[in-house]
Parts: sequence; C-alpha cells; structure tokens
Amino acid sequence: MKKLILLKTMFMREWLELKRYPFNLLSGLIALYLIFLVVFVGYRALGAGSPKFGNTLDGIVVGFMMWTFSISAYSTLSWELMNEARMGTLEQLYMTPLGFDWVCIFRVISSFFLNLLFVLPILALMMITTGRYLHIDFLSITPLLTLSLAGVYGIGFVMGGLALVFKQIQAFFQIIQFIFIFLIALPISKQPLFKAFPLALGSNLIQKVMVDKSSILLLSPEDLLILLVNSAFYFWVGFWLFKHFLRVARKKGLLGHY
Amino acid sequence: MVSVEGLTKVYKQKGKPEVKALNGISLSIEKGEVVGLLGPNGAGKTTTIKCLCGLIIPTSGKILIDGVDTVKNPQWGMGKISAVLEGNRNIYWRLTPKENLSFFAGMMGISRRKRREYVEELLHIFQLKDKEKSQARYLSRGMQQKLALACSLVKGTEILLLDEPTLGLDVESSYEMRQLIKSLVADAGKTVFLSSHDMKVVEDLCQRVIIINNGKVITDDTVKGLQQLFKVSSYRFNLEGELPVQARYQIKREFGLCKIGRDGANARIDVELKSAERFYDLVEILKRHCCPVRSIDHKEPDFEEIFLKIVRGKK
Ligand SMILES: Nc1ncnc2c1ncn2[C@@H]1O[C@H](COP(=O)(O)OP(=O)(O)OP(=O)(O)O)[C@@H](O)[C@H]1O
Ligand SMILES: [Mg+2]
Repeated sequence: MKKLILLKTMFMREWLELKRYPFNLLSGLIALYLIFLVVFVGYRALGAGSPKFGNTLDGIVVGFMMWTFSISAYSTLSWELMNEARMGTLEQLYMTPLGFDWVCIFRVISSFFLNLLFVLPILALMMITTGRYLHIDFLSITPLLTLSLAGVYGIGFVMGGLALVFKQIQAFFQIIQFIFIFLIALPISKQPLFKAFPLALGSNLIQKVMVDKSSILLLSPEDLLILLVNSAFYFWVGFWLFKHFLRVARKKGLLGHY
Repeated sequence: MVSVEGLTKVYKQKGKPEVKALNGISLSIEKGEVVGLLGPNGAGKTTTIKCLCGLIIPTSGKILIDGVDTVKNPQWGMGKISAVLEGNRNIYWRLTPKENLSFFAGMMGISRRKRREYVEELLHIFQLKDKEKSQARYLSRGMQQKLALACSLVKGTEILLLDEPTLGLDVESSYEMRQLIKSLVADAGKTVFLSSHDMKVVEDLCQRVIIINNGKVITDDTVKGLQQLFKVSSYRFNLEGELPVQARYQIKREFGLCKIGRDGANARIDVELKSAERFYDLVEILKRHCCPVRSIDHKEPDFEEIFLKIVRGKK
C-alpha cells in the first residue's frame, strides 16, 4: 500500500513538472516532427513509384515512433538522474526509507506512461502527414513496447550511473540517441544473431504487428521468448551496473557533487 | 541514540595524494540533545554528516543508530534520520512549497488525506503559507532553506541532521531559522546534530559542541563548560591615565599573553591569567608603579574566540 502511494507520488511530481513546462514537451515534439518531415520528403522524392513504397513508408513511421519512444525514455531516466544529483534531491531520494530501488523502478514506470504523451501525438502526426494509417492493436503493441523499452531503460540506468561517477559524460549522452536508430534498423531477418542486441528484436516484432497487420498471437513464440529474456537481461544488467556505480559514487563521496 | 566509533574516510584519487577527510572520529548523541559540529573549512563536517546518512561509505569505523550498525545496514538508518544538506538544495525548484512538502510526505508512503493536514500545518509553522503557490526557485534563499527543513520534517524521524542550516542567510532569516530549530527541539522533541560556521547559531542552540579539525575530534564539551573554562582567566584592567614604561615592560615580561592598549587617554590591559594567584601579581605591579585602576572587567570571551583558540591549539 505504501509502495502504491510512493508510485503515485513520483508520477504526480513528473506530471506537475511536465504540466508546468509544456513548452519543453512542445518544442521536443516539434523538433522531432520536423526531423520526420525531412526524412519523409526525402524518401518520397527518391522512392516514389517503387512498388514497395507504401510498405517501406509504414516501416519508417514505426521506426521513427520507436526511436522517439527510446530517446525520450532514455533521456528522461539518465538526464534526470544527473540533474537530481546536481540539485541535491537525489540524496534525499536515496534516503527514502521505502528503498531507493523502488524509487528507481517507479521512476521507470511513470516515465513510461508520461513518455506516451510524447509518442502518441508524434505517431498521430506522422500518420496524418503520410496518409498511411497503421494497424494499431493495443493488446499486441503494449506488451511488445514494454519489453522493447525495458532494454532502453537498462541503457539509461548505465548512463545515469556513469554520470554520477564521471561528471563529464554529458557529451556522450547524445551519441547514444543515434545508436538507437542503428539498433532499431538492424536487419534481423538477414542475421538472427542481431536479436541479441537491445531494442532490435522488439522493434522488428512491432513492425510486424503495425505494418504487416499481424498480432502477438501470430508471432513466433520462440521470438517472444527471446524478447522476454533479452529485455530482462538488459534491464537487470543495466540496473545492476547502475547500483554498482551508485556504490562507487558513495565511496568516492560524489553523490551530491555538482 | 547515535554513536560513532573510529570513523575514518580516506579519499584516493589518481595522481593526487590521498585525502584523510576523517581520521578516527568518535562521538555520541543522546536522545533530545542538540549537538553542534564545528570546525574550519575542510575539517570533515559534511563528510561526517553524510556518513551518518549513508550517503558516503566510510573507509572504516562504526555508526550505531539505536544500536544497529548502519554502515552494514544503511536502510535502518534511513528510517531513523532525516537530513538537510547544505542549505537550499534538497528541494524541487520547479515545485511549489506545498507540492514539495506533499511529495516528500508521499515518499514516506503517507496517504494523500493524512498528508494534506500535515502539509498545511507545516506551511503554517514555517510561515510559507502566502508563498504556497509560487515555485521554490522564486522564493528567497531564507524561504528555500526553511522549506528544505520543513521537507525533512515530513519524514517524521526523531533525529535531524543539519549541515550549515543558516549558510547564506541574512541576520533576520538566520534568527528565524534558529527559532524554528529551537521550537522543533522544545515542542517536537527532536534530536538535532548540526554543523555550522556561525558561532551565534551554536551558542544559541546547542547544549554541546564537538569541534573537529583535520578529521579528528579535538574538543567535545558543553557550551557552558567551554565558556566557563575561558571565562575564569580573562580580565580587562581599565587604568586611570598612562601606564609607565617600566610597568609595561614588566607586565609584558611576566604575562606573555597580554594586550596593552588604550581607551582615549587611559591605558587598558587585556590579560589572560593561568591561575587565580596571578591576579594579585598583576595588581602588585600596578600598585608598585602607582597606577590607579579605574575598573576591572571579567571579560566574557565570545564563542568565536573560544573556537579560534581551540582550533589553533591554545588553551
Ligand atoms: N568527494 C571527495 N573527494 C576527495 N576529497 C574530498 C571529497 N569530499 C571532501 N573531500 C575532502 O575532505 C575534506 C573534508 O571535507 P568536508 O566537506 O567534510 O569539510 P567540511 O568540514 O564540511 O568543510 P566546509 O566547512 O568547507 O563545508 C576536505 O579536505 C575535502 O577537500
Ligand atoms: Mg561542509
């Protein structure tokens, strides 16, 4: 019961900050939409007339959605950890008697839902712009999205942890965001070993549902199992490394340094 | 309630000599006590406090809170201690005082309904009511610091650690902060351990002071005890007229620790006497040189002087 209150409290705080600064959300949305427009116009100029034009375009839309979700999930986690260390609130959160682990897990959960506020409008805009309305089967997409994002959160934890110990890592933050594009676009059908990377298999399966109008029940159970193991692995390894860096920061007395 | 034994913290950095921030600190704090932690910059005050909170892992030593070792079991400490670290940090700058308080109460798992009343009460006590709707970053520094203190109170723990609670506050805000801390001890029965550079704060609030320097405890005594210790030996002689040169030499020779000055046309001697008999020796010299004494003051050394003397190793 107390844990539930903790979750609600953390969600409320992020919601309040978001509501107070709608401009951050809005400018992010506009920037991403503009990037998408460039990609879309470029692709239309090059690929028009090709028989697979429509299908590839759908793929681009889904890939872009995955990228949007990944970077917002990743940056809210790692950037916020760093920011809170600087503001001194991280130390207060660390001292929560209900446990800092819960604080972290709940932050991930609330960030997931709040990031939907960012992703859904982008998706809608993209569909309106391209005129291609994708197959949106929430029952299939939700679990797939959750599992795909778990790996991204793992990476976010690692980066956040690194930032606690090595303060000059911010420049590196942006680079990771482009690595996500690469992961999302990995051609899994050509090389099954790519399934071992985070995000790759998940976005491939989401493509299948949204573009090829499949459903989670029709996907290969083997792939689903791999996705489950993959997500759990990256999430927990990321979280474990984060806790390791947190310990190092406490040893070095760096938790509240700015 | 809190007991620290042989706490050390060594920072090793590549290419730099290691820093011994704490070098065997031992101390204890009893229930209901207000203890001050003093020491010059870099003495290890913040490090000590953060070790108590579990925010820094000490190199060696024990921290017992209600008998439980919190170095081994940090989670225990979190439920017993709340801390305000260095002034106006600790709070969310983009949230209002009310939202901040409600957030930290929620982090304790206090339900929304119970929280509301509690938050109102704290806003009232801390006189933040008329600012309850403006974001913390727009508040004055004094208010931010009060808010940080209020936020640590919602945790409802008995032990409160404050690292420089009046840092950067003006005279009035500092006074207000002191009154607040006083009332927390008197009305809410809190046990307070606070570090400060402000001797007024320490003199005004603390029953006991622990002075550390270079990571070691150099004094652990009651404020009264320290004042007593220095009071007995400090005198000011106000003379009528000048002090003859011979007398001046003799006094300088026999009472090393003295300061001869003047107050208009009249001479003045500030002296520290190592024993009560020395008082008569000085009077004897003055008598021999026929120097009329206008008055003798028992000079009250202020706490700042006591502190400086202890840190510089004089006693
Ligand atoms: N993270 C760190 N890494 C290396 N050395 C540190 C670190 N934190 C503190 N120190 C060193 O440890 C010593 C004690 O620092 P501490 O911050 O505890 O002092 P303080 O008594 O709080 O000083 P101040 O009055 O300036 O706040 C100082 O010499 C400081 O330089
Ligand atoms: Mg300090």
